[in-house]
Amino acid sequence: MLKKLFVFILLFTIGYFLVNSLKSIPLGANRVGSIDEPTTVSGYYLNKSPNALKVANSITAVVVNFRGFDTLGEVTVLFLAATGLASILYRKEDEEEEEKHTHSLSKRLNLPSSSLVRTGAKILFPLILLLGIYVFIHGHLTPGGGFQGGAIIATGFLLMLVSYKGFTTNHNVMVWLESLAGLGFVGVGLYGLFAYGSFLQNTGWTGNLNDLISGGFIPLIYIFIGIKVATELTNVLDTLLNIKPRKK
Amino acid sequence: MVITPVHYIVVPLLAAFAIPLLTKIYKDAARLIPGIVLFYNIIVSFNLLKYVNEHGIISETIAGWQAPWGINLVITPFTGFLASMVSVLGFIIWLYGYRFKRTLKGGLVKYYEILQMMMIAGSIGVIITGDLFNMFVFIEIVGISAYSLTAFYRGRDGAEASFKYLLIGSFASTFLLLGILIIYTQTGTLNMAQIAERMHEVPQHMKIIALIFFLISLGIEAEMFPLNGWAPDAYSQAPSPTSATFAAVVSIAGVYALIRVLFTLFDVPVNNYLMIMGFVTMLVAEIAAISQKDLKRMLAYSSIGQVGLVLIAFGIGSKLAVFGALFLMLNHAVIKSLLFMTGSYFIYNTDNKKLKSLNGIHKRLPLVSFFFSLGALAIVGFPPFAGFWSKFYILIAAGDARHVYLIVGVLGVTIIELTYYLRIVGRIYFAKEEEEPASHKPSINAIIAMSALALFILVIGVYPDLIMQPLNQAADALLNKTHYINQILSLN
Amino acid sequence: MIDFHTIFEQYKEIISIAVYGTAVFLIIIGLYAVLLKKHLVKIVIGLSIMDAGIHLLFVAVGYISGGTAPIFSPGNENAANTMVDPVPQALVLTAIVIGFAVTALALSLVIRLYKHHHTANIDQLKSLKW
Repeated sequence: MLKKLFVFILLFTIGYFLVNSLKSIPLGANRVGSIDEPTTVSGYYLNKSPNALKVANSITAVVVNFRGFDTLGEVTVLFLAATGLASILYRKEDEEEEEKHTHSLSKRLNLPSSSLVRTGAKILFPLILLLGIYVFIHGHLTPGGGFQGGAIIATGFLLMLVSYKGFTTNHNVMVWLESLAGLGFVGVGLYGLFAYGSFLQNTGWTGNLNDLISGGFIPLIYIFIGIKVATELTNVLDTLLNIKPRKK
Repeated sequence: MVITPVHYIVVPLLAAFAIPLLTKIYKDAARLIPGIVLFYNIIVSFNLLKYVNEHGIISETIAGWQAPWGINLVITPFTGFLASMVSVLGFIIWLYGYRFKRTLKGGLVKYYEILQMMMIAGSIGVIITGDLFNMFVFIEIVGISAYSLTAFYRGRDGAEASFKYLLIGSFASTFLLLGILIIYTQTGTLNMAQIAERMHEVPQHMKIIALIFFLISLGIEAEMFPLNGWAPDAYSQAPSPTSATFAAVVSIAGVYALIRVLFTLFDVPVNNYLMIMGFVTMLVAEIAAISQKDLKRMLAYSSIGQVGLVLIAFGIGSKLAVFGALFLMLNHAVIKSLLFMTGSYFIYNTDNKKLKSLNGIHKRLPLVSFFFSLGALAIVGFPPFAGFWSKFYILIAAGDARHVYLIVGVLGVTIIELTYYLRIVGRIYFAKEEEEPASHKPSINAIIAMSALALFILVIGVYPDLIMQPLNQAADALLNKTHYINQILSLN
Repeated sequence: MIDFHTIFEQYKEIISIAVYGTAVFLIIIGLYAVLLKKHLVKIVIGLSIMDAGIHLLFVAVGYISGGTAPIFSPGNENAANTMVDPVPQALVLTAIVIGFAVTALALSLVIRLYKHHHTANIDQLKSLKW
């Protein structure tokens, strides 16, 4: 009871502080300032994104180029989470021996999915993959990008994992794709470091605004991110779904 | 090839992404590569420190956008000193854990090595970044690796400690994001130098609210009372090299983040708050330590106590105090990793973590016992060990600032500290032996690692002048805020 | 063509209260779930709700009255002055991914704890003390 009271007082205090601070941040006010002579980072990014980088989606420009280092860190966080998840849910060898006889995937779902679900999943799966690839290839032109496209692809794999009993992802291919995509991202960054003197720096050649091939390295990096996010999310889902049911 | 600060981050990242592939070709790659990478980081550190000494602050741009606009990595004497310290200790901890990890099952080694290496690289990232949001990302990198490593032994207590750590860590990141949000809306920038420059335009009440959010979130990272409940559990449940890393690397990065935000970003004086919270942290932790029955938990509480003393010293705020605080951070990192390293050998040999089983262990593990006692005496502050000087300078600074009650308090807490450390040393050397002879002698790489740390403690204790100059420059660099702002914003 | 600027200015108060109120409310609900709920999965859900509130807050403060999405689509190349702030949206993208990573890790820990204790009630997990 005392704990509850304490928690409510705490929540009330935090809420009070938040509301109080938000009063001084009016919704809809222009905090970007001048675009032509920027004083804030957003003004600068909105200025440079179409002019210097030739990237139509300025959020992509911010995510991949201006603040690309954050994105590299973000990809690393995802990578570390997948690694940590695998280590936490790692099964000992003796358990695995035992498991070979009882197919773990069949235990995952007790009921087989109906043929309607299976056929539907089979039709949808390539379309979902296609949509995901479309989203990350066009990340610099339209809303979306590597993370969104990768997440879409992972939902496709999720659909297959839950609707087909025997569906597994090829672990080897996943490891290769994931590592190569990560190395590709860092590699592009290193190319910038060696060729232009700054890590992740874009090439001078940027094409025309709103072309599919424009923005220098930005679409390339987003493709790497898309592949990496898709494989990592699929790995996470695969690990989580393949947990052996508890022995009674 | 010119060595730049970004190598600190990129080389470990390349290695982390490549390790899953390379283990398919060569089985031991997962264990060797982190060592090579961490050793390379030491080379980077010394090159950068030398450069900073000759040419002043380095501010490296990322993606080619100049400092206020893009993300930048900053090496000042202060951050360079901390980054070098973290790199060297990271390498020594890797050396210590090299053979120990043989006990792990095949596939797990790879995960362990990746997480451990990225935890150290992430801590360096927290220290060298010049961008507030980037700091958040690096704190999360450290956090995710730390949660995973805490649960690495997959026992029930490990998972529980990790879950607790994860919950508190999520609070920290939530409040950190809220603080960043407020700062961003008020200043329109995320670069720390520019935020510091524009801070005087921010209305006072917004400043205070943002400051509270930062204090909560970074206080959790820096193990400040009352937000440090995660620390003893995480320290005691993690694998031993990881416990040493928590003490030597992660807590240093946490204190750095707190100090950077309080000293550079905000112009609100928080000295009294830091002193009070530091003192309470220290007092509570040391009182908790004296009642512990588990060796690793006791060391964890002692670590929190040391962090409390560091915060007190930063709170005093004079040049001498900051100097003492940095000296103490260095000593704490070195001595506490030595204590965790030796302590874990005691634990291997007794099969439980209880203090009682340490009775008379020096006959079985003479060298390890010697190192442990050395560390115990050094951390309490016995002359002529390294720990003496840091405490000495902090007390002198407190005296200069007329904080007599602080001197009394710190000395009082030191007596508590002395009691429980001497109790253990007494057990090791004088109590009657109860158990059968040792089965785990320390391996040669562990002996090298421990000797290096012990040698450092002795050499610095006898001849502290060796470290005076870098510490002095680091203290200057931290206190001279205008210089930091000008160097990053205009000279780029 | 609907003039969002006028509509926004007209109902500014209500929209502000609705958007900020939702965000703060989500954060508070999440905190409440984390602090008081007993079931481990509910605690993890609480964390996600808290994150959602912060993400909403970030996107909300980036809004500029009458602004469009910060994308220079054809025929819209010189519209930088009427665009919303892109930086909070980019930050939110990072924060979402980090939140996802933390949630995944938390769920794996819940699975671990459930395997060891055969319960997901947090009161049953007391092998460690503060």
